[in-house]
Amino acid sequence: MRAFIGCLAACVLLTASVSAQWITVKLPRTPRTADGKPNLTAPAPRTAEGKPDLSGIWRRVAPTRNDNEDGNFNLLDWMPDGAQIRMKPDAEALYLHRRNVLKGGGRPSQECLPHSIPDSMLPPVIFKVVQVPDVTIILFEEFNHFRQILTDGRALPVDPQPAWWGYSIGRWDGNTFVVTTSGFNDRSWLDDTGHPHGEGLKTTERFRRIDFGHMETQVTIDDAQMYLAPFTLTIRFDLQPDTELLENICENEKDSEHIILGK
Amino acid sequence: MRTRALVASVIVGVVLGLSHAHAHHSFAAEYDSKKPVTLTGTVTKVEWLNPHVRFYADVKDEAGTVANWEFELGSGTSLVRQGWTRTSLKPSDVIKVDGFLARDGSRLVNAVSVSTGDGKKLFAGSSFEGAPKQ
Repeated sequence: MRAFIGCLAACVLLTASVSAQWITVKLPRTPRTADGKPNLTAPAPRTAEGKPDLSGIWRRVAPTRNDNEDGNFNLLDWMPDGAQIRMKPDAEALYLHRRNVLKGGGRPSQECLPHSIPDSMLPPVIFKVVQVPDVTIILFEEFNHFRQILTDGRALPVDPQPAWWGYSIGRWDGNTFVVTTSGFNDRSWLDDTGHPHGEGLKTTERFRRIDFGHMETQVTIDDAQMYLAPFTLTIRFDLQPDTELLENICENEKDSEHIILGK
Repeated sequence: MRTRALVASVIVGVVLGLSHAHAHHSFAAEYDSKKPVTLTGTVTKVEWLNPHVRFYADVKDEAGTVANWEFELGSGTSLVRQGWTRTSLKPSDVIKVDGFLARDGSRLVNAVSVSTGDGKKLFAGSSFEGAPKQ
Protein backbone atom coordinates (compact mmCIF):
# COMPACT_ATOMS: atom_id res chain seq x y z
CA MET A 1 0.00 0.00 0.00
CA ARG A 2 2.79 2.39 0.88
CA ALA A 3 4.46 1.71 -2.46
CA PHE A 4 1.18 2.32 -4.25
CA ILE A 5 0.68 5.62 -2.48
CA GLY A 6 4.21 6.66 -3.30
CA CYS A 7 3.73 5.77 -6.94
CA LEU A 8 0.41 7.62 -7.08
CA ALA A 9 1.86 10.73 -5.54
CA ALA A 10 4.90 10.59 -7.82
CA CYS A 11 2.71 10.21 -10.91
CA VAL A 12 0.57 13.18 -9.92
CA LEU A 13 3.58 15.32 -9.13
CA LEU A 14 5.28 14.30 -12.38
CA THR A 15 2.21 15.20 -14.40
CA ALA A 16 1.89 18.49 -12.55
CA SER A 17 5.56 19.29 -13.12
CA VAL A 18 5.22 18.68 -16.85
CA SER A 19 2.39 21.21 -16.95
CA ALA A 20 4.34 23.49 -14.67
CA GLN A 21 7.27 23.53 -17.08
CA TRP A 22 5.03 25.29 -19.57
CA ILE A 23 2.93 27.59 -17.41
CA THR A 24 5.57 28.31 -14.77
CA VAL A 25 8.79 29.29 -16.43
CA LYS A 26 11.39 31.84 -15.37
CA LEU A 27 11.51 34.24 -18.30
CA PRO A 28 15.03 35.65 -18.83
CA ARG A 29 13.93 39.20 -19.70
CA THR A 30 11.93 39.67 -16.53
CA PRO A 31 13.59 42.10 -14.09
CA ARG A 32 13.93 40.56 -10.66
CA THR A 33 14.33 41.61 -7.10
CA ALA A 34 17.17 40.36 -4.96
CA ASP A 35 15.17 37.30 -3.96
CA GLY A 36 14.60 36.33 -7.58
CA LYS A 37 10.95 37.32 -7.78
CA PRO A 38 9.68 39.37 -10.72
CA ASN A 39 10.14 43.06 -10.04
CA LEU A 40 6.72 44.31 -11.03
CA THR A 41 7.52 47.94 -10.22
CA ALA A 42 10.64 48.07 -12.40
CA PRO A 43 10.48 50.60 -15.24
CA ALA A 44 8.40 49.65 -18.26
CA PRO A 45 10.56 48.10 -20.98
CA ARG A 46 11.12 49.95 -24.21
CA THR A 47 11.53 48.89 -27.81
CA ALA A 48 14.57 49.56 -29.95
CA GLU A 49 12.66 52.56 -31.31
CA GLY A 50 12.35 53.95 -27.79
CA LYS A 51 8.62 53.37 -27.40
CA PRO A 52 7.15 51.59 -24.38
CA ASP A 53 6.89 47.87 -25.02
CA LEU A 54 3.46 46.56 -24.05
CA SER A 55 4.46 42.94 -24.68
CA GLY A 56 3.58 40.48 -21.97
CA ILE A 57 0.73 38.43 -20.57
CA TRP A 58 -1.94 40.48 -18.84
CA ARG A 59 -5.11 40.08 -16.84
CA ARG A 60 -7.45 42.83 -15.81
CA VAL A 61 -7.72 43.92 -12.19
CA ALA A 62 -11.12 42.90 -10.85
CA PRO A 63 -13.55 45.76 -10.39
CA THR A 64 -14.52 46.59 -6.84
CA ARG A 65 -18.24 46.58 -7.57
CA ASN A 66 -20.70 44.94 -9.94
CA ASP A 67 -23.74 46.77 -11.25
CA ASN A 68 -25.76 43.65 -12.00
CA GLU A 69 -27.77 41.64 -9.50
CA ASP A 70 -27.08 38.49 -11.55
CA GLY A 71 -23.32 38.97 -11.35
CA ASN A 72 -22.67 39.59 -15.04
CA PHE A 73 -19.97 42.17 -15.67
CA ASN A 74 -21.18 45.63 -16.60
CA LEU A 75 -19.33 48.49 -18.33
CA LEU A 76 -20.35 50.62 -15.36
CA ASP A 77 -18.08 48.49 -13.15
CA TRP A 78 -15.13 50.20 -14.82
CA MET A 79 -16.55 53.72 -14.68
CA PRO A 80 -16.54 56.25 -11.84
CA ASP A 81 -19.13 55.96 -9.10
CA GLY A 82 -22.34 57.61 -10.21
CA ALA A 83 -21.46 57.50 -13.89
CA GLN A 84 -24.25 56.88 -16.33
CA ILE A 85 -24.42 55.44 -19.81
CA ARG A 86 -27.05 57.40 -21.68
CA MET A 87 -28.76 55.17 -24.20
CA LYS A 88 -31.21 55.94 -26.95
CA PRO A 89 -34.67 54.37 -26.40
CA ASP A 90 -34.22 51.35 -28.70
CA ALA A 91 -30.80 50.62 -27.25
CA GLU A 92 -32.09 50.88 -23.70
CA ALA A 93 -34.97 48.51 -24.46
CA LEU A 94 -32.57 45.95 -25.91
CA TYR A 95 -30.20 46.38 -22.98
CA LEU A 96 -32.93 45.92 -20.38
CA HIS A 97 -34.20 42.84 -22.20
CA ARG A 98 -30.75 41.27 -22.21
CA ARG A 99 -30.16 42.23 -18.59
CA ASN A 100 -33.49 41.54 -16.93
CA VAL A 101 -35.24 39.00 -19.14
CA LEU A 102 -32.38 37.01 -20.67
CA LYS A 103 -30.23 37.43 -17.55
CA GLY A 104 -27.20 37.60 -19.81
CA GLY A 105 -28.22 34.49 -21.69
CA GLY A 106 -27.56 34.35 -25.41
CA ARG A 107 -24.44 36.44 -25.35
CA PRO A 108 -22.05 35.54 -28.18
CA SER A 109 -19.35 33.98 -26.01
CA GLN A 110 -21.94 31.44 -24.90
CA GLU A 111 -21.47 29.91 -28.35
CA CYS A 112 -17.73 30.55 -28.34
CA LEU A 113 -17.98 33.67 -30.48
CA PRO A 114 -15.77 36.68 -29.68
CA HIS A 115 -16.27 39.03 -26.75
CA SER A 116 -14.87 41.79 -29.02
CA ILE A 117 -13.99 45.28 -27.70
CA PRO A 118 -14.00 46.15 -24.85
CA ASP A 119 -15.69 43.01 -23.49
CA SER A 120 -12.70 40.77 -24.28
CA MET A 121 -10.70 42.62 -21.61
CA LEU A 122 -13.37 42.54 -18.89
CA PRO A 123 -13.53 38.87 -17.80
CA PRO A 124 -10.71 37.40 -15.69
CA VAL A 125 -9.04 35.73 -18.65
CA ILE A 126 -5.48 36.34 -19.73
CA PHE A 127 -4.18 37.69 -23.00
CA LYS A 128 -0.75 38.13 -24.52
CA VAL A 129 0.45 41.31 -26.22
CA VAL A 130 3.08 40.83 -28.91
CA GLN A 131 4.45 44.19 -30.03
CA VAL A 132 6.65 44.16 -33.12
CA PRO A 133 7.30 46.78 -35.82
CA ASP A 134 4.22 47.56 -37.94
CA VAL A 135 1.81 45.45 -35.89
CA THR A 136 0.79 44.73 -32.32
CA ILE A 137 -1.01 41.44 -31.84
CA ILE A 138 -3.24 40.49 -28.93
CA LEU A 139 -3.60 36.77 -28.35
CA PHE A 140 -6.52 35.87 -26.12
CA GLU A 141 -6.17 32.57 -24.31
CA GLU A 142 -9.92 32.03 -24.26
CA PHE A 143 -10.93 30.24 -27.46
CA ASN A 144 -7.52 31.03 -29.06
CA HIS A 145 -8.93 34.28 -30.45
CA PHE A 146 -6.70 37.13 -31.61
CA ARG A 147 -6.83 40.70 -32.82
CA GLN A 148 -4.22 42.71 -34.68
CA ILE A 149 -3.50 46.41 -34.51
CA LEU A 150 -1.70 47.71 -37.58
CA THR A 151 0.91 50.36 -36.92
CA ASP A 152 2.37 50.75 -40.41
CA GLY A 153 0.70 54.10 -40.98
CA ARG A 154 -2.31 52.89 -42.93
CA ALA A 155 -5.73 54.46 -42.45
CA LEU A 156 -8.88 52.67 -41.32
CA PRO A 157 -10.68 50.98 -44.21
CA VAL A 158 -13.70 52.70 -45.71
CA ASP A 159 -16.92 50.65 -45.69
CA PRO A 160 -15.26 47.31 -44.93
CA GLN A 161 -16.98 43.99 -44.44
CA PRO A 162 -18.26 44.22 -40.85
CA ALA A 163 -16.12 42.12 -38.52
CA TRP A 164 -16.33 40.80 -34.96
CA TRP A 165 -13.10 42.54 -33.94
CA GLY A 166 -13.41 45.40 -36.39
CA TYR A 167 -10.31 46.89 -38.01
CA SER A 168 -7.67 48.44 -35.74
CA ILE A 169 -4.84 50.89 -36.33
CA GLY A 170 -2.45 52.19 -33.70
CA ARG A 171 -0.19 55.18 -33.19
CA TRP A 172 1.91 56.58 -30.35
CA ASP A 173 0.94 59.72 -28.49
CA GLY A 174 4.01 60.16 -26.32
CA ASN A 175 4.12 57.07 -24.15
CA THR A 176 0.49 56.18 -24.84
CA PHE A 177 -0.48 53.66 -27.51
CA VAL A 178 -3.67 54.91 -29.11
CA VAL A 179 -5.75 52.29 -30.90
CA THR A 180 -8.69 53.23 -33.07
CA THR A 181 -11.10 50.57 -34.26
CA SER A 182 -14.12 50.66 -36.56
CA GLY A 183 -15.81 48.33 -39.03
CA PHE A 184 -17.52 46.19 -36.40
CA ASN A 185 -20.47 43.95 -37.00
CA ASP A 186 -23.33 44.56 -34.57
CA ARG A 187 -23.43 41.09 -33.04
CA SER A 188 -21.03 41.41 -30.11
CA TRP A 189 -22.09 42.75 -26.72
CA LEU A 190 -20.01 45.52 -25.14
CA ASP A 191 -20.20 43.66 -21.82
CA ASP A 192 -21.69 40.50 -20.34
CA THR A 193 -24.74 42.39 -19.11
CA GLY A 194 -25.75 43.29 -22.64
CA HIS A 195 -24.90 46.85 -23.63
CA PRO A 196 -25.48 46.81 -27.39
CA HIS A 197 -23.72 48.53 -30.25
CA GLY A 198 -24.32 49.18 -33.91
CA GLU A 199 -22.09 48.79 -36.93
CA GLY A 200 -21.12 52.44 -36.58
CA LEU A 201 -19.30 51.79 -33.31
CA LYS A 202 -15.88 53.38 -33.04
CA THR A 203 -13.63 52.58 -30.11
CA THR A 204 -10.52 54.44 -29.01
CA GLU A 205 -8.22 52.65 -26.59
CA ARG A 206 -5.37 54.47 -24.91
CA PHE A 207 -2.91 51.92 -23.50
CA ARG A 208 -0.26 53.06 -21.04
CA ARG A 209 2.26 50.73 -19.44
CA ILE A 210 2.79 52.26 -16.04
CA ASP A 211 5.73 50.05 -15.07
CA PHE A 212 6.88 46.51 -15.70
CA GLY A 213 3.94 44.89 -13.96
CA HIS A 214 1.07 47.29 -14.55
CA MET A 215 -0.85 48.63 -17.53
CA GLU A 216 -3.96 50.72 -17.95
CA THR A 217 -6.26 51.52 -20.81
CA GLN A 218 -8.99 54.06 -21.24
CA VAL A 219 -11.59 52.89 -23.72
CA THR A 220 -13.94 55.40 -25.26
CA ILE A 221 -17.15 54.07 -26.79
CA ASP A 222 -18.54 56.23 -29.57
CA ASP A 223 -21.74 54.90 -31.12
CA ALA A 224 -24.28 57.54 -32.09
CA GLN A 225 -26.76 54.88 -33.19
CA MET A 226 -27.10 53.52 -29.66
CA TYR A 227 -25.83 56.18 -27.24
CA LEU A 228 -26.58 59.83 -26.63
CA ALA A 229 -22.94 60.63 -25.90
CA PRO A 230 -19.56 58.87 -25.96
CA PHE A 231 -18.39 57.45 -22.66
CA THR A 232 -15.10 56.11 -21.31
CA LEU A 233 -14.15 53.26 -19.02
CA THR A 234 -10.79 52.67 -17.38
CA ILE A 235 -9.39 49.14 -17.17
CA ARG A 236 -6.26 48.28 -15.22
CA PHE A 237 -4.16 45.20 -15.85
CA ASP A 238 -1.64 43.19 -13.86
CA LEU A 239 1.20 41.46 -15.66
CA GLN A 240 1.13 37.68 -15.29
CA PRO A 241 4.86 37.01 -14.96
CA ASP A 242 6.73 33.84 -15.76
CA THR A 243 3.91 32.00 -17.47
CA GLU A 244 2.68 31.13 -20.93
CA LEU A 245 -0.66 30.85 -22.72
CA LEU A 246 -2.33 27.48 -23.02
CA GLU A 247 -4.40 26.16 -25.89
CA ASN A 248 -8.08 26.79 -25.32
CA ILE A 249 -10.31 25.42 -28.06
CA CYS A 250 -14.04 25.64 -27.45
CA GLU A 251 -14.63 22.02 -28.40
CA ASN A 252 -17.18 20.86 -25.84
CA GLU A 253 -19.82 23.58 -25.57
CA LYS A 254 -22.84 22.08 -23.80
CA ASP A 255 -24.35 25.02 -21.94
CA SER A 256 -26.39 26.60 -24.70
CA GLU A 257 -28.96 23.79 -24.66
CA HIS A 258 -29.64 24.54 -20.98
CA ILE A 259 -29.76 28.33 -21.17
CA ILE A 260 -33.24 29.69 -20.56
CA LEU A 261 -33.86 32.77 -22.68
CA GLY A 262 -36.50 34.30 -20.45
CA LYS A 263 -37.52 34.58 -16.85
CA MET B 1 -7.93 1.91 1.40
CA ARG B 2 -8.75 4.59 3.90
CA THR B 3 -5.24 5.94 3.49
CA ARG B 4 -5.60 5.84 -0.27
CA ALA B 5 -8.80 7.81 -0.07
CA LEU B 6 -7.14 10.32 2.21
CA VAL B 7 -4.23 10.76 -0.20
CA ALA B 8 -6.60 11.24 -3.09
CA SER B 9 -8.54 13.76 -1.05
CA VAL B 10 -5.43 15.72 -0.17
CA ILE B 11 -4.28 15.75 -3.80
CA VAL B 12 -7.65 16.90 -5.04
CA GLY B 13 -7.74 19.46 -2.26
CA VAL B 14 -4.43 20.93 -3.30
CA VAL B 15 -5.34 21.21 -6.93
CA LEU B 16 -8.94 22.28 -6.40
CA GLY B 17 -8.41 24.75 -3.66
CA LEU B 18 -7.76 27.96 -5.51
CA SER B 19 -9.78 27.39 -8.62
CA HIS B 20 -11.64 30.48 -9.67
CA ALA B 21 -12.80 30.77 -13.19
CA HIS B 22 -14.77 32.73 -15.68
CA ALA B 23 -17.66 31.29 -17.61
CA HIS B 24 -18.23 31.82 -21.28
CA HIS B 25 -21.93 31.93 -20.43
CA SER B 26 -24.17 33.64 -17.88
CA PHE B 27 -24.51 31.74 -14.61
CA ALA B 28 -27.93 33.26 -13.94
CA ALA B 29 -29.31 32.21 -17.33
CA GLU B 30 -28.47 28.57 -16.73
CA TYR B 31 -28.43 27.96 -12.97
CA ASP B 32 -30.67 28.90 -10.07
CA SER B 33 -28.82 30.54 -7.20
CA LYS B 34 -31.87 29.84 -5.02
CA LYS B 35 -31.56 26.09 -5.54
CA PRO B 36 -28.38 24.90 -3.84
CA VAL B 37 -27.88 21.16 -3.81
CA THR B 38 -25.55 18.62 -2.24
CA LEU B 39 -25.08 15.30 -4.01
CA THR B 40 -22.89 12.27 -3.36
CA GLY B 41 -22.06 9.79 -6.08
CA THR B 42 -19.52 7.78 -8.01
CA VAL B 43 -17.76 9.39 -10.95
CA THR B 44 -18.49 7.65 -14.26
CA LYS B 45 -16.79 9.96 -16.78
CA VAL B 46 -14.59 13.05 -16.88
CA GLU B 47 -14.43 15.40 -19.88
CA TRP B 48 -11.24 17.41 -19.48
CA LEU B 49 -12.00 19.96 -22.18
CA ASN B 50 -12.89 23.58 -22.85
CA PRO B 51 -14.92 25.70 -22.41
CA HIS B 52 -15.64 23.68 -19.23
CA VAL B 53 -14.41 20.58 -17.52
CA ARG B 54 -17.39 18.33 -16.90
CA PHE B 55 -17.77 15.16 -14.98
CA TYR B 56 -20.60 12.73 -14.64
CA ALA B 57 -21.52 10.69 -11.58
CA ASP B 58 -24.08 8.10 -10.61
CA VAL B 59 -26.13 9.46 -7.73
CA LYS B 60 -28.57 7.41 -5.67
CA ASP B 61 -31.67 9.17 -4.39
CA GLU B 62 -33.54 8.43 -1.15
CA ALA B 63 -35.64 5.75 -2.88
CA GLY B 64 -32.50 3.97 -4.00
CA THR B 65 -32.86 4.89 -7.64
CA VAL B 66 -29.57 5.64 -9.38
CA ALA B 67 -29.35 8.39 -11.97
CA ASN B 68 -26.42 9.87 -13.82
CA TRP B 69 -25.80 13.59 -13.12
CA GLU B 70 -23.65 16.11 -14.98
CA PHE B 71 -21.41 18.55 -13.09
CA GLU B 72 -19.81 21.67 -14.56
CA LEU B 73 -16.47 23.07 -13.38
CA GLY B 74 -14.30 25.89 -14.70
CA SER B 75 -12.45 25.76 -18.01
CA GLY B 76 -9.84 23.09 -18.54
CA THR B 77 -7.29 25.83 -19.09
CA SER B 78 -8.03 27.60 -15.82
CA LEU B 79 -7.98 24.34 -13.86
CA VAL B 80 -4.60 23.36 -15.33
CA ARG B 81 -3.35 26.79 -14.38
CA GLN B 82 -4.52 26.12 -10.83
CA GLY B 83 -2.66 22.83 -10.69
CA TRP B 84 -5.32 20.33 -11.69
CA THR B 85 -4.57 17.61 -14.16
CA ARG B 86 -6.80 15.36 -16.21
CA THR B 87 -6.18 12.61 -13.68
CA SER B 88 -7.20 14.65 -10.67
CA LEU B 89 -10.67 13.18 -10.86
CA LYS B 90 -11.25 9.70 -12.23
CA PRO B 91 -14.09 7.28 -12.89
CA SER B 92 -14.92 5.25 -9.77
CA ASP B 93 -13.94 8.12 -7.43
CA VAL B 94 -16.61 8.72 -4.80
CA ILE B 95 -17.34 12.42 -4.52
CA LYS B 96 -19.59 14.86 -2.75
CA VAL B 97 -20.56 18.00 -4.61
CA ASP B 98 -22.06 21.25 -3.40
CA GLY B 99 -23.47 23.38 -6.18
CA PHE B 100 -26.51 24.85 -7.83
CA LEU B 101 -29.20 23.17 -9.91
CA ALA B 102 -29.88 24.02 -13.53
CA ARG B 103 -32.96 26.12 -14.11
CA ASP B 104 -34.29 23.82 -16.82
CA GLY B 105 -34.77 20.95 -14.38
CA SER B 106 -32.19 18.67 -15.95
CA ARG B 107 -29.72 16.65 -13.89
CA LEU B 108 -27.07 19.32 -14.23
CA VAL B 109 -25.20 21.06 -11.42
CA ASN B 110 -22.77 23.96 -11.35
CA ALA B 111 -20.20 22.59 -8.91
CA VAL B 112 -18.98 25.05 -6.31
CA SER B 113 -17.11 22.55 -4.19
CA VAL B 114 -16.13 18.93 -4.55
CA SER B 115 -14.94 16.65 -1.80
CA THR B 116 -13.59 13.17 -2.02
CA GLY B 117 -12.81 10.27 0.25
CA ASP B 118 -12.96 11.51 3.79
CA GLY B 119 -15.71 14.02 3.08
CA LYS B 120 -13.58 17.07 3.51
CA LYS B 121 -15.27 20.00 1.74
CA LEU B 122 -13.12 21.54 -0.95
CA PHE B 123 -13.71 24.60 -3.07
CA ALA B 124 -13.92 23.59 -6.69
CA GLY B 125 -14.40 26.94 -8.26
CA SER B 126 -17.70 27.71 -9.84
CA SER B 127 -17.62 28.29 -13.57
CA PHE B 128 -18.75 31.81 -12.85
CA GLU B 129 -16.76 34.40 -10.91
CA GLY B 130 -19.89 35.99 -9.51
CA ALA B 131 -21.67 32.79 -8.56
CA PRO B 132 -22.98 32.65 -5.01
CA LYS B 133 -20.88 30.74 -2.51
CA GLN B 134 -22.31 27.97 -0.42
